[in-house]
Amino acid sequence: MSIPLGYYLMLSAFLFAIGLCGALSRKNAIIVLIGIEIMFNAGILNFVVFWHYKYFAVLTAQMFAIFAISIAAAESAVGLALVIAVYRYYRSVDVDQMTSLKG
Amino acid sequence: MDTIFWILSIITIIGAVMAITLRNLIHCVLSLILFFLGIAGHYFLLRADFLGAVQVLIYIGAVAVLMLFAIMLTRHVTGDEGPREVLGGKWWAGMGTAVIIAGLLWAIIRKDQIAQALPAGVAKTSVAEIGKALVGDWVVPFEAMAVLLTAALIGAVVIALEEVIRKR
Repeated sequence: MSIPLGYYLMLSAFLFAIGLCGALSRKNAIIVLIGIEIMFNAGILNFVVFWHYKYFAVLTAQMFAIFAISIAAAESAVGLALVIAVYRYYRSVDVDQMTSLKG
Repeated sequence: MDTIFWILSIITIIGAVMAITLRNLIHCVLSLILFFLGIAGHYFLLRADFLGAVQVLIYIGAVAVLMLFAIMLTRHVTGDEGPREVLGGKWWAGMGTAVIIAGLLWAIIRKDQIAQALPAGVAKTSVAEIGKALVGDWVVPFEAMAVLLTAALIGAVVIALEEVIRKR
């Protein structure tokens, strides 16, 4: 295993940018949530990579990764429930049609 | 090992790009599953076996299936979205932000000293150690996570059932 740490960090940064692009530019709210999940995974990958290269104490990084995965799962459950509630009200999940708060 | 890293990275990036660019929402979620599988493969390659298994169970087993259900519940049964616009109004701003973030991170990582580091021996953590730590040193965050998951569960049910409650 002779991959330098930077390759993993660049992969993670690239995935984060892809997720950000999807979350900011797509219209459908479910794709926005998919982009957020991609960003979460890019962040969690960093914990595991730094653990493997021994920049963290033995268990700390794995614990952080486990808790981050749990929080991501809770976030996506609440987010999708919100999407369904918004769909009931607007009959659409397009984020640019939710303009009730627009001044 | 290097070859496996490159193959997994290409699979992961292709999955992520397809998940945010395809028009059909079901295909987007299927590509997202490919992305999750690539990340799980990276975890196995990094010797984090437990996290790889957790990734497959939680993300592919729960989150992706939840997203498929949300798509089924919010889409008109007609199937294809047709010639509708898939990008939001200010999509160029979002894409510009993503490009700038990627460029900045790339410039920082390229110049940094840490990025040259090679692994100093094999890091290993057994599942038994993780289990003991979860009920030992990490018991307070573990219990807080239990409360958070319960709150999220109740909150999701309440939000999704809002209309039914109001009708009664």
